[in-house]
Amino acid sequence: MPDKTLLEMKQIEIQFPGVKALDKVDFNLRAGEIHSLLGENGAGKSTLIKCLTGVNHMDAGVILLDGKEIRPQSPQHAIDLGISTVYQEVNLCPNLTVAENIFVGRQPMKRGQIDWKTINARAVELMARFHQDIDVTRPLSFYSTAVQQMVAIARAVDIQAKILILDEPTSSLDDNEVKLLFDVMNDLKAEGLGIIFITHFLDQVYAVSDRMTILRNGHLVGTFGVQELSRVDLVTLMVGKDMDTIFNLKRADVKADAPYMLTATHIGAPGQVDDISISLRKGELMGFAGLLGSGRTETAEMLFGAKHATSGTIEIEGKKTDIRNPYDALMLGMAFCPEDRKRDGIIGDLSIRENIALAVQARRGFLKPLSKAEQNELADKYIKALGIATPDAEKKIGELSGGNQQKVILARWMATQPKVLILDEPTRGIDIGAKAEIQRLMLEMCGDGVSVIFISSELDEIIRCSNKVIVMRDREKVAELDGETCSQSQILTIIAEGAAAAGGEAQ
Amino acid sequence: MKKRFDISSLMRSKLTWAVVAEALILLVCLIVRPDFFKISYQPSTGMLYGNLIDIVNRSSEITIIAMGMTMVIALGGTDLSVGALVAVAGAIALKFMRWDVTVYNTPGDYTVYPFVLAIVVPLLVCIAMGLFNGLLIAKGGMQPIIATLILMVCGRGIAQIVTNGKQFTTGYSPFRVIGQGSMFFLPTPIVITVIVIVCVSLFVRKTAFGTFVEAVGVNRSAARLSGINAQMVIFIVFALTGFLSGISGLIYSSRIMSNDSNNAGLNYEMDAILAVVIGGTSMTGGKFSLAGTVLGSIIIRTIVTLVYYFGIASEATMAFKAVIIAVVIVLQSEPVREAFAKRTRARSQLAGGGAVK
Repeated sequence: MPDKTLLEMKQIEIQFPGVKALDKVDFNLRAGEIHSLLGENGAGKSTLIKCLTGVNHMDAGVILLDGKEIRPQSPQHAIDLGISTVYQEVNLCPNLTVAENIFVGRQPMKRGQIDWKTINARAVELMARFHQDIDVTRPLSFYSTAVQQMVAIARAVDIQAKILILDEPTSSLDDNEVKLLFDVMNDLKAEGLGIIFITHFLDQVYAVSDRMTILRNGHLVGTFGVQELSRVDLVTLMVGKDMDTIFNLKRADVKADAPYMLTATHIGAPGQVDDISISLRKGELMGFAGLLGSGRTETAEMLFGAKHATSGTIEIEGKKTDIRNPYDALMLGMAFCPEDRKRDGIIGDLSIRENIALAVQARRGFLKPLSKAEQNELADKYIKALGIATPDAEKKIGELSGGNQQKVILARWMATQPKVLILDEPTRGIDIGAKAEIQRLMLEMCGDGVSVIFISSELDEIIRCSNKVIVMRDREKVAELDGETCSQSQILTIIAEGAAAAGGEAQ
Repeated sequence: MKKRFDISSLMRSKLTWAVVAEALILLVCLIVRPDFFKISYQPSTGMLYGNLIDIVNRSSEITIIAMGMTMVIALGGTDLSVGALVAVAGAIALKFMRWDVTVYNTPGDYTVYPFVLAIVVPLLVCIAMGLFNGLLIAKGGMQPIIATLILMVCGRGIAQIVTNGKQFTTGYSPFRVIGQGSMFFLPTPIVITVIVIVCVSLFVRKTAFGTFVEAVGVNRSAARLSGINAQMVIFIVFALTGFLSGISGLIYSSRIMSNDSNNAGLNYEMDAILAVVIGGTSMTGGKFSLAGTVLGSIIIRTIVTLVYYFGIASEATMAFKAVIIAVVIVLQSEPVREAFAKRTRARSQLAGGGAVK
């Protein structure tokens, strides 16, 4: 069975105005296989997928499905051919129920009316197959992103799919949820489905896939079995440079007598976090590790005044403060890049220039506007400093890639010259090159005396950059470790079993 | 690098098509009435007369309100209460311009209360009502369309209560100047409108307020997390719209020298929203164009004038107006603009290719 070729794409070429997005790319997928598609942003992964889903039209090349040539004309056509896609952002309706979401557009009918009984029964059955014992008559928004993701996959698979494309399905899931997703993927693989898996997480590539295809700048680099290629070689092939040059980062150098910039004592709020105390020195980088929902984001939001802390005190540079909203925090020299870039970070319809100038302008108040020249100066400075890939500052931020959007948000806060910078998952969903750049920028800012709080789900980057690591678990701070000496397994143990289990090292 | 003049991007702009629509309607007017563009000077009143003047004059009420409505829509909302506020402003103004019936039998050039009250109080009340809308939306988290529906419905009731259900008339001449007088050879409403347009534009574009409105309109959460006080922005926008509705109400009641709680400002909310939309501001919020809104308001008024010229029966007026507006909106729609832009691009490429050969 695994040797039966399900899909073959040969010599695919796509020309966009000014660039060749894909140049003679070959790709094949077997039935009962999980095949990772890898490459940096702009390498052509999504363009290739969009050929398959009928969004882009090929300028040359053939697609064979089960040996027959196909030419998907539209996403609906692709679905009819048996090619289903689940995108990074869940493309469902949060206000409809789980069952409605699965069957919308193809509801089973009975005597001219929608057969709700069958819909709900089948939805329960289907979700059970994905190990989800949930009430399918609740609105989708009631459930976590992970469950929503499962619902999206359930819907995709239920449409008699032969090929399932998963585009960054894990970027907003925590480790347990990722495991669950992998179980589901393996089940589907056993049923003979061909799965194309796109992700930025290399660990996950090795954990779940059988083969991988690497693209770079619209060219095919090669297709390999997972055992054939080491991680380091993989990154080298993806980026075209080797890993050491990319991640040649040096931890921030904090003097032992550096003053405390931010001290939070026993802050908390019911249902958010309990009793968090941290103290951050000037120029120090503090990493926050923990699962999604462990209280990392809530702590950050409380420090920045986005959420109200009902107990505890926050001191900035030794002075007690009363931060009630983000504006107060901004005025005190704090900055915050939120976790959900799309929802809380970018102002999609505004230009890069306006997005960068926004926080500086907010601090000055609207009556003291920055002139267009000052805004341009600010924008140009940071476009250059951060290497934001754009023809000019007037491009809408919504049209940029994820990594560049993140850099613009970072620029927005760097422009305010903050004393304390809080970054919540700044490297999520962006490629490895941009990731390294953002880490480098973070550390550079520490070098300039900015104190940074860095929240991430990826332990290796926490360990690589942090002076101090705070481990969160079940809405509590369970450990504070030294960044130089702590190890990934130590943190994992604490996350899994609590501080006591990990021995006496945690204070 | 110098920006090249690009005709296909011009084709893509909504504003371009609003100008085209206005030009077409004026052209039809000219065909029907060859003397359409004639403007004459009347020495006795010191005013210019003519159709074009009249169109701009009569569009004043909507233009003034639509300035505020543009920002409400840029915030992603709508304000349905503006028409009712016009009635409220008129009712309060006239309440202060009653005359003492024990002294005079008929309305004339007199008023019991100081005239300044008849101007200031209506405007203050309208600002307060705008703030009430803002309160429901910013603090109460209500959707603007629902929040403003409250005053839309009860505003006219308030106007009735203010005047005890009576219709007052006045002959007080300083008040007449607002709607029927002239300044700089032009009807006063035009002058007031120009002042409003200039002030609002300066406020919005010379401060960062316009950017804040757009930021909140596109993504309120992100704007808040960037340190923008979104609630304050909402308060200011709705208070401003209330204030502008008040000005509009004073002009309206000065034209009829009376208050009319049932008909003053009737359907103004719809015309104002329409003016904003024709002007190219999207109902989903975000980027807005004040110039577009002014043009939109003038287009609506030109259509009404055209209707009169065709001598269309008054019953059919609304339907005729609707048809023309539908055509304008379709002209501005994404697919149509895109199609025109593509055609011109293809043509210019063809021409360019020919030149190379």
